[in-house]
Amino acid sequence: MSSSPRSSASRTAIFALGVGAAIIVVSLVLLAFGVNVLKIGDTFVTGLFPPIAVTTEGAEIRDLYTVIFLIAVAIFLVVEGLIVWTVIRYRRKPGDDTLPPQIHGNNIAEFVWTVVPTLIVIFMFIVSWQTLNAVDTNASDAQTTKIRAVAGQFQWQFDYLDQNDKLLYTELLPMVSQGGGMMVPAGRTVQLSLVSHDVIHAFYVPQFLFKRDVVPGRTNQFDFTVDAADAGQTFRGQCAELCGTGHSIMLFEVKALAPQEFDTWLAGKAASSPPASQAPAPSGGSPAPSGGSPAPSGAAPSGAAPSGGAAGPTLNLAASNIQYTVKTLTAPAGAPLKIDFDNQDAGVPHNVTIHKGSPTGEQVFAGDIFPGVAKKTYNVPALTAGTYSYVCAVHPTTMIGTLTVQ
Amino acid sequence: MATTTLTPTIPAYRTGLYAWLTTTDHKKIGIMYVINSFVFFFIGGLLALGVRSELAQPGLQYLTDLQYNEFFSMHATFMIFLFVIPMLAGFGNYIVPLQIGAPDMAFPRINALSLWMLPLAGILLLLGFVTGGTAAAGWTSYAPLSEDRPLAATGYGQDLWIVALVLIGTSSILGSINFLVTMFKMRAPGMTLFRMPIMVWTVLVTSVLVLMATPVITSALIMLFIDRNYGGSFFDPSRGGDAILYQNIFWFYSHPAVYVMILPAMGMVSEILPVFSRKPLFGYKAFIFATAAIGALGFSVWAHHMFTTGAVYLPFFSIMTFLIAVPTGVKMFNWVFTMWGGQLMLKTPLLFAIGFLTMFLIGGINGAFSASVPVDFALHDTYWVVAHLHYVLFGGSVFGVMAGFYYWFPKMTGKMMNETLGKAQFVVMFIGFNLTFFPMHELGLAGMPRRIADYSSTAGWNDLNLLATFGGFTIATSMVLFLWNVFVSLRSGEPAGEDPWEGNTLEWATTSPPPAYNFDHLPEIRSERPVFDARHGRTATH
Repeated sequence: MSSSPRSSASRTAIFALGVGAAIIVVSLVLLAFGVNVLKIGDTFVTGLFPPIAVTTEGAEIRDLYTVIFLIAVAIFLVVEGLIVWTVIRYRRKPGDDTLPPQIHGNNIAEFVWTVVPTLIVIFMFIVSWQTLNAVDTNASDAQTTKIRAVAGQFQWQFDYLDQNDKLLYTELLPMVSQGGGMMVPAGRTVQLSLVSHDVIHAFYVPQFLFKRDVVPGRTNQFDFTVDAADAGQTFRGQCAELCGTGHSIMLFEVKALAPQEFDTWLAGKAASSPPASQAPAPSGGSPAPSGGSPAPSGAAPSGAAPSGGAAGPTLNLAASNIQYTVKTLTAPAGAPLKIDFDNQDAGVPHNVTIHKGSPTGEQVFAGDIFPGVAKKTYNVPALTAGTYSYVCAVHPTTMIGTLTVQ
Repeated sequence: MATTTLTPTIPAYRTGLYAWLTTTDHKKIGIMYVINSFVFFFIGGLLALGVRSELAQPGLQYLTDLQYNEFFSMHATFMIFLFVIPMLAGFGNYIVPLQIGAPDMAFPRINALSLWMLPLAGILLLLGFVTGGTAAAGWTSYAPLSEDRPLAATGYGQDLWIVALVLIGTSSILGSINFLVTMFKMRAPGMTLFRMPIMVWTVLVTSVLVLMATPVITSALIMLFIDRNYGGSFFDPSRGGDAILYQNIFWFYSHPAVYVMILPAMGMVSEILPVFSRKPLFGYKAFIFATAAIGALGFSVWAHHMFTTGAVYLPFFSIMTFLIAVPTGVKMFNWVFTMWGGQLMLKTPLLFAIGFLTMFLIGGINGAFSASVPVDFALHDTYWVVAHLHYVLFGGSVFGVMAGFYYWFPKMTGKMMNETLGKAQFVVMFIGFNLTFFPMHELGLAGMPRRIADYSSTAGWNDLNLLATFGGFTIATSMVLFLWNVFVSLRSGEPAGEDPWEGNTLEWATTSPPPAYNFDHLPEIRSERPVFDARHGRTATH
């Protein structure tokens, strides 16, 4: 097929060996300078795989990923190797002006490289389809725990439902570290339904290897089972569909509890949450928020309970577009305060919490969380002189202000 | 070449800039398409550097959330609608009439109209920056986020975006009609359909895709405009609309648009590989059928962008997406076996064409992961997808465009580009590209969603993001080398002559640059390589 002199093949082999030797030498030099090449290589290879799955469904997806990955690597090595070999092997020699054989095609070769890839992709489709039928299920029974995630710009809330879809408890704080989070029973199937009351969001937990869009006007649903062995662990999740300016802070955490622990937790929450204040489920198609007054967060040492005593000064604070309108407040020391809080964000829950010093300092007050548009007056107990931060528990990274007590 | 002395007297005011602004010559229009596209390529590139700078480390350092959303939205809009698509249309404009032996496009004035709509659309998009904010809902502008919502923060910029895209779409439709009529009505004697160069074939298939798909997105854009400005309720569920409907219409255009963005680049590579291997394209007809198959299958895979919406019949779109890999694979083997057994001249155009092969291969393979629905549940809307689309559109289209630019620059200007600078640009761009986009695979697997302005420093994404940003600035360095090369080559490049590369196709049978109306005489057209036949004789082919 080739009219090139034989020596060019061995020259090519020498070139390839040279490249290999250069890679080894560079690695050795880096090692000598204290760069841990092996560790970097290990991190690189590990990074080519998704995280270890914590759900049954995620584990199946990860197995499928591995199958597809191995096929992909094989194809990559064969074709990329063929390209590189061809380029090195068939370089034009200086002064060689002979015309290479003019080959227009080869029916057998073209037939083979049409049929073989077709068979490979059909195989990949079939294994994918099998996995799809196993992971994208919706078979609820009496043992299934029903949770509804409600997404809105830019927070999540989690509704816990009983078997008749009656609301038991609403968790308004999306992060475990803020005293909230989505609690799930490990080892038990959870049926999660997804509702949005504004734009499209997506429920994504990387360690589930799964995401599903939260579409206004439509209720999406999927089942998952966190492995029993992962009880006690917390998994990070976040919105995966661009939803506006706060997209990157629309975080949540999922915490797996042992089933009995989960039952006790949910029973306690349901009992302490007065039925009258339960929010009706926001129906898709309605732009209105869940409405009603929210349940207490459970984490707050004090709510909006009236605290008698001397009437202190009243501070005015408003929230608009996920920001406090006022970033600094001043109050006298030793007297109880009133905060008139005006939440102007329709459908978005906010509150005011007060922390000593930095926004992550010790919490000395937590007001009720409630969705806008609404107003509420918080009664804050007397504070000693010093610097405090006021933070919205739902948006702790963006809604921060400084309160000076003197 | 006989010099003609039939020079008509041209009034002074019709020369220089005026002549360019009023021209209907397909070559001048093609060059202006290319210049316009490069201008928006560099604007889009600066926006990308802004995005990468912000993501280099956790925390918001340079941009607000809103500005970040504007930056990546406009980066994609400029790159897709004002760089890749018009750039390929520009090369088509310059090359197609020459390659089929025609004096000009069929409708020269419509051709000028298609061109001048583009800078107008670009100015409308840029106006967003000074009228209170550009579109900020991504280049996809999914409803209802792109509709009037208090926290979507999309002001007039979104309306400007809609109007600009309708203008660009109209320009594309006019251009594709022009291409099709030119190809079917103005081929030189002997230039049968199956003797047309592959570049012409890819532009033909692309034009059919544009003609069938663009009116569909125009309808979505008009409905979005009505929703936003006249109280319509097409896509807003709170007013009885359907949010998923927008995605179906949008992707019915935008997936075929992916092939609009890659097929002509494949055509360029298919011109360059045979010339620099001194062999014919392996499997010429198979290549044409594969191109047509990609075009046809391209209309049946749009919903693979919507696997996670819960509103898609998954198996159908999954199998169609897998199947589209087959004709693409056929092309890959055709390219490799074109080089096999040849005599490769490793000049800059060939280097970029090989870069196209090696990088587009990765873009094809990592696409197969997303065709597998369960794997897509994990990867969708993460940085994996950002990696995939850049391996196709940068590793594929941009490397193809660079190959084509180095290949046809001598024809367009009569001067050779500097080889040393060209090779340096290739090496820097190849390294920078992989440093930027390969780590994004791992970021996506590690769970980093796309389109986020900020991330937690404890998420484990710091190192890879910093590496990607370093790569982004490496790409920028390669673009400086490119601009410098264009500058020095225009000033003092070696004269190119008619046919510096020993080309195969008719554009190499006329002067560089070609005269108005292109040819004094044409060689006999007896195969898809008329200039090769003229040089070596028909017998050399067999």
